[in-house]
Amino acid sequence: MHDIERRALIKGAAMGALAFTVGGGEVLLTPRAARSQGVPLRTLTVAQAATLDALGETLVPGARQAGISQFVDQQISIPAEEALLEARVLNVRPPYANFYRAALGAVERASQALNGQPFADLSQAEQRSLVDNMRQNKVDGWQGPPGSFVYLVLRSDAVDVVYGTMDGYTALGIPYMPHIVPTKRW
Amino acid sequence: MANEKVDVVIVGAGASGSVFAAVLTKAGKKVVILEQGPDWQLADLVSSDFWGRRIKPASGPFLLEGKNPFGYVYQAGWGVGGAALHYFANFPRLLPNDFKIRSEYGRALDWPISYQDVAPYYDKVAQDVGVSGDAKAEEIWRPAGAPYPMAPMKTFRNGEIWLKGFEAAGIRMVPAAVAMNSTEYKGRPPCIYDGWCHVGCPTGALANPLVTYLGDAKKAGTEVRPLSTVTRVLTNAQGNKVTGVEYYDAKKERQVQEASVVVLAAWSAQNPRLLFNSATDKHPKGLANSSGLVGKYMMAHFSSGTWALFDEDIQSYMGTTGAQLMSYERYAKTSQKGAFGSSFIVAGSALKTSDLGGFANARLDLFGSDLAAFMKRAARGLTRIGAFGEELPNIENRIEAASDKDEFGMPFAKIIHSFDQDAVALWNANFEEGLKIAKATGAKEVWSARGNMPTIHLMGGTIMGANAGDSVTNSYGQTHEIANLYIAGPGIFATAGASNPTYTILALSLRGAEQLAAKWSTVAG
Repeated sequence: MHDIERRALIKGAAMGALAFTVGGGEVLLTPRAARSQGVPLRTLTVAQAATLDALGETLVPGARQAGISQFVDQQISIPAEEALLEARVLNVRPPYANFYRAALGAVERASQALNGQPFADLSQAEQRSLVDNMRQNKVDGWQGPPGSFVYLVLRSDAVDVVYGTMDGYTALGIPYMPHIVPTKRW
Repeated sequence: MANEKVDVVIVGAGASGSVFAAVLTKAGKKVVILEQGPDWQLADLVSSDFWGRRIKPASGPFLLEGKNPFGYVYQAGWGVGGAALHYFANFPRLLPNDFKIRSEYGRALDWPISYQDVAPYYDKVAQDVGVSGDAKAEEIWRPAGAPYPMAPMKTFRNGEIWLKGFEAAGIRMVPAAVAMNSTEYKGRPPCIYDGWCHVGCPTGALANPLVTYLGDAKKAGTEVRPLSTVTRVLTNAQGNKVTGVEYYDAKKERQVQEASVVVLAAWSAQNPRLLFNSATDKHPKGLANSSGLVGKYMMAHFSSGTWALFDEDIQSYMGTTGAQLMSYERYAKTSQKGAFGSSFIVAGSALKTSDLGGFANARLDLFGSDLAAFMKRAARGLTRIGAFGEELPNIENRIEAASDKDEFGMPFAKIIHSFDQDAVALWNANFEEGLKIAKATGAKEVWSARGNMPTIHLMGGTIMGANAGDSVTNSYGQTHEIANLYIAGPGIFATAGASNPTYTILALSLRGAEQLAAKWSTVAG
């Protein structure tokens, strides 16, 4: 047992953070830290990241600051076998970037058609209304993966970064109780 | 490239393949396991819903069709240990009424064996891997057997709080039988009830293959080759014997592993895919498929979950991912009026925040500030029960080869699956009863976990039977058509029951492996 615990802690500490590219080299950071340090996007465009930030924040308050865009961008930029996305267990076929591009594009098109503005620029009430209709597959003229599935996947990502971390458990006032610590935050 | 011939090559390092490897290696056979995924170690099992996804496939070569597509990734394995690396270790067994449904009700199928044929292997497996529970208490529903080697696990308020509701419904609950340690067992520590079972238990308290049969097999000399993708089972010119397998190694180079016996233990959907791709002029429909039944009679379980939210702190986060309490009270095939099939009831499980089973998904309709408020309340006050339901075998639920091909040129497969009216009726009846039970607990709020009808535990596709006309294998998993080709795992189940399948998978694998070892010269000669 002692040997297992020792190896676990060493490996868990090393594995927990995600590898972000900074200045041409890879560094291990949490998405929250990647956001605060302004780590460049690898796959998403700036506009897509803005949509994802706004959508994430609408779904789960705190998702923007928790680094939802950095999390998704990093995850869709690595081989699918290494990805930690909920999309994986929801049977989304790799490459996962295809799904996110299609999903975010559908949200943007719906926002423009309904409100004439990017989703990120809508009022909170407008954002909430669009998401609620998307959740129920009730957005007229929706073009992309089914709205309810987009809702499920992106809501899961937002839940992951806000509530799935050790910080998230602390915020809810419940113990995380890891056998193997992911890292301080993850 | 050809490798030195071995006695046995096993395809898949999951629950069933590990049992065959342990038994046959200890019997003196040279055994190689080829595993498609990575060589996971206990130290890879990070306590995190994010990191737990790594030990599942990143999609696979399967296309999902039918009214109720089989969403398999959450419960599938990828790598050494297979799905049993992250299973919940609930260990209910099938009951006598599962084995003779056709004889008793004129529908579904009979197994070629009875409960009494499997029962001694349930008892052996319990000793081998370590099961906690109260066998005597279960015997109100099943024939007597050996006691479990460990006392029941601890229960927590999130499980106990349901007892009042079950009592009101006339449902007796007993300690859940689980493959986890309530006390130290065979040098493995007791469980600490932190609820991370579903992402893999690194302490050895939960009986995953790495600390049970596969660990034993490796100690005895089994060689495991990870990142080895088997594409075909090879046969001799006459087509009456298998001679080994073709596979692609970690460098994606073609290899051949010759063997006297081949055991396919690669999962219920992958085994038929391999058999289809192994077609020859002697076996034009695929190996072991003269009956045309390879890939047929795929079955799933479905669950009817019920949530209850309390104002008091019920320690929702404590316990195990599986169950604290269980019941076969609704296991009779006609228990629920207007429906047909068994139901198996569980209560009490530790809740985590995210992933499919996380409590954020208990109210999928909520988002924004409503979700944030719910999360606060649910963190200490939410609990659930579940009733697993039985799907009867239906020949239309099947695996078929598809036209798309993987990187090795092997055709994808379609998993075509739809629930019939019996299954839907049983699902609905269990929801209704779940709500009644929940209301009787005095909870502040109760609701059904309704959504798309879930598909859990893929079984069938290479079912066992009495003869080559009605099945693919005999009761040992030996194919009717080719004596030295075995199939292991839930693919050989003739019906699904409603019990979590791993205990039965291990028991049938032990039975099959011991038969193979005992009859080695006639099978492999």
